[in-house]
Amino acid sequence: MGNLRQPVYLEEKLKQVRESGRLNIRSKSLPTWCPGCGYFSIVDGVAMAINRLQISQKDVTVVSGIGCASRFPFFLETYGFHTLHGRTLPVATGIKVANDKLTVLAVGGDGDAFAIGGAHIPHAARRNVDITYLVFDNGIYGLTKGQTSPTSVLGFTTSTSPYKNQDQPLNPLLMMLSYGTSWVGQSYAGDPRHLSEMITQAMAHRGFSYLHILSPCVTFDKTSKTYTNLKAQVRWLPENHDSSDKMAAMKYAMDTDNPPIGLFYKESRPTLADNLNLVIESARGQGARASL
Amino acid sequence: MKETDIQLMFCGSAGDGTIAVGDIFKRAMAKAGYKVIAFDIYPPEIRGFGKCISRVRVTSRQAYSLKQESDVLVSLNDSYAIPHVPEVRDFGSVIYDNAPITSMAEGEHISGHLLPGQLPYGLRIREISDQTTGGSKSKNIVALGYLAGLFGIKPEPFHLIIRDKFKKKDPSIAESNLLAFDTAYTEGASTFRLDFIELGAPERQEIGSKVQMMTGNAAVVRGCLDAGLDCFFGYPITPATSIMERLATELPRRGGRLLQTEDEISAIAATIGAGYAGVRSATATSGPGLALMVEMLGLGVISEVPSVIFCSQRGGPSTGMPTKTEQSDLHLAVYGGAGDAQRIVLAPTNVEGAYRCAGKAFEMAEKYQTPVIVLLDLYLSNRYETVLLPRQNPFEGESSKHRSRVERGIPYSRFAFTEDHVSPRTIPGEEGGIHVITGLEHNEMGRPNDQSDMHNRMSEKRHKKLLAALDHPGITIHKRFGDTGSVDVGILGWGSTVGEILEAMLMAQAEGISCSVMKVVMLSPLPVEPIQHFFSDCREVLIPELNYEGQFANLVASAVSKPFTRFNRVPGVPMQVADILDQIRRLAERAKSSSAA
Repeated sequence: MGNLRQPVYLEEKLKQVRESGRLNIRSKSLPTWCPGCGYFSIVDGVAMAINRLQISQKDVTVVSGIGCASRFPFFLETYGFHTLHGRTLPVATGIKVANDKLTVLAVGGDGDAFAIGGAHIPHAARRNVDITYLVFDNGIYGLTKGQTSPTSVLGFTTSTSPYKNQDQPLNPLLMMLSYGTSWVGQSYAGDPRHLSEMITQAMAHRGFSYLHILSPCVTFDKTSKTYTNLKAQVRWLPENHDSSDKMAAMKYAMDTDNPPIGLFYKESRPTLADNLNLVIESARGQGARASL
Repeated sequence: MKETDIQLMFCGSAGDGTIAVGDIFKRAMAKAGYKVIAFDIYPPEIRGFGKCISRVRVTSRQAYSLKQESDVLVSLNDSYAIPHVPEVRDFGSVIYDNAPITSMAEGEHISGHLLPGQLPYGLRIREISDQTTGGSKSKNIVALGYLAGLFGIKPEPFHLIIRDKFKKKDPSIAESNLLAFDTAYTEGASTFRLDFIELGAPERQEIGSKVQMMTGNAAVVRGCLDAGLDCFFGYPITPATSIMERLATELPRRGGRLLQTEDEISAIAATIGAGYAGVRSATATSGPGLALMVEMLGLGVISEVPSVIFCSQRGGPSTGMPTKTEQSDLHLAVYGGAGDAQRIVLAPTNVEGAYRCAGKAFEMAEKYQTPVIVLLDLYLSNRYETVLLPRQNPFEGESSKHRSRVERGIPYSRFAFTEDHVSPRTIPGEEGGIHVITGLEHNEMGRPNDQSDMHNRMSEKRHKKLLAALDHPGITIHKRFGDTGSVDVGILGWGSTVGEILEAMLMAQAEGISCSVMKVVMLSPLPVEPIQHFFSDCREVLIPELNYEGQFANLVASAVSKPFTRFNRVPGVPMQVADILDQIRRLAERAKSSSAA
């Protein structure tokens, strides 16, 4: 954490931010999120990552679904497609199949990802589509003004579960690990430095990378996943965690009381584009033989 | 020169090789230079004892549809063939096994069910199969050899196709089947003829184009490949699957990519994603799949991304009748989805049209920046026709309205209002064209905007830009056949049923009825003026279609105020020419009496 003995001057900080060039990656549209929303640090984290990885903005396409989180593409100065509720991954897959040179980011909230969009995740993971999927998990439906989501905790009271939520929440990290996702990490919107570092790593990974971002909804959740609660619960993955050990990663993923943040698992295997190129090669080989 | 026009019907149970022998027959006839139209009916189950029928019509000039009555019935299983005996014309021939099995109950043999005037040809089909191949599996080949010999059709094309059919198996299998064919051929050639069925010499092939026999789905694939399809995303569903199966082999050979997605929603989503990235992309499905796709279709409309969707209709609603044909997804294709989401819908009427519509769909999708649905049906998807394909690729390459040059300092507006309502489009990766598109109503820059004026202007833009498609070059949007000028009866048709309608029109004309047919290929936007013009030429108008509601009739009713007659049937099989003819006769009477009064 920051060194408290050294004072931080606003002018200096602003100068630093301006010079970093990451402001150019932010669009002129002001985010529509509530003041204090965790998503502000995510948009900044992505801008920082694009900046750090030296990717040309014209080569980045951000795809999103529907929800608070899915307004994301409007706040970046890159290509973007704000699609339908739950359909982020198939649209992103289509873009990537059409043009593998593009850097494709898929973003969405927990409802978009795990309720309506749940059926698409295993397939993006098993195909190892070379995209980065950021899920902003606040455990609530914010844009429709506070209803229960698939990651809402048991006993959570919302407008659609006035007698408390009885449905057991999903464990997204465990799901992603078992689907065969080739890069799985978790971060926390209350720690922007860690967040931007994890986004950079996820984007640098070749293959399907999944970053789970715990992010409080300051407007509709005053009791469950708040900054105060998350700050007390979240801990760092132990330094000696071997990110090639899937069983260990799964064990950490099951710790939902104290969600660990960091890189859970990473593996290197052919991407969808690699495999489609192989198909073209073998088809052309066979075609040549057939025409002989 | 004698005109050829004979129709054969092979009937048997699954496992008898009924569809296979129909296939050899039509391929041989096409190879010999005849024109062919053929359609098979088979049960939805893969194994078991369902009924299979293969009908093949062989003509000197391309026929529009199959005939009501067949000239020849070949029975490979009497219990299935007996109900179809009445479909054989007077003095038509029935070929059957006269020693099928050692014992048979009374009334089980087809010979006892022939109608007076039908001519029997019994042959030891099973025995010859046993003698020549050592088993009864080649009964179908024996029957084929016999009928070829009987009607004096040259054996060489059959030899070629049989060899080709068995080329992946042990060579001895091809040889024994050829022996079975030849043995039966000799028997047939020496049989005393009772009938007058005769084939004229085939016509010479037209110069400058290639004659091929293919199904509607195969024609769609050819159209896609000729139009330069880059990416295809699909999910298996009868009767559209064979489009994806063929493309899975062919597309990668040309450097294209195909992905079998997890469902139809992802198929269309990825198609639109690829369209946004600037390549030619498509998907293929049937009614239930299109029902899942319509939400995405709306996104394609509002975000103005090109995409092509092939939908081969089957019996509905819901899972309905997966292996039966119907024209009941018109409402879904034209109107399906939330909000005012007008798109282009094309419905080819024959196999050649399927090729043209497939290719032109890509041009239109790019030019008008919209989803284009090509509406087929099981009958058109699966029926075979000999078609003339142009030797020169008839489709334009990239016709998309790309932004010509980056104007520095001027921010790019993806949805700029223009004279033709189509905005210059950039694609991801292009310098100076950065933009975000959305399913929300938006302003010219693509930013969310729900001001009433903006929604009015954008709705107008999205609707009006499509009107230019009615004059799109190189494709038949609508066409009139038969008598010109004022007529007693006009028949308005769409999709595969136009074949039966044209056959009925020819018969009505032969009876002296003044009649005319107009086929409509573009269902959305609808060519309203030509339809109104056709109505003003006809005393009575008939609209036959294979759905219960009269979905096309509803569409027409929204465009014209004159009354017309609906004719709706949902038998799961193509419409009967005789039924349409009856309606024409009835309306001709009415036209006469009303003009007399």
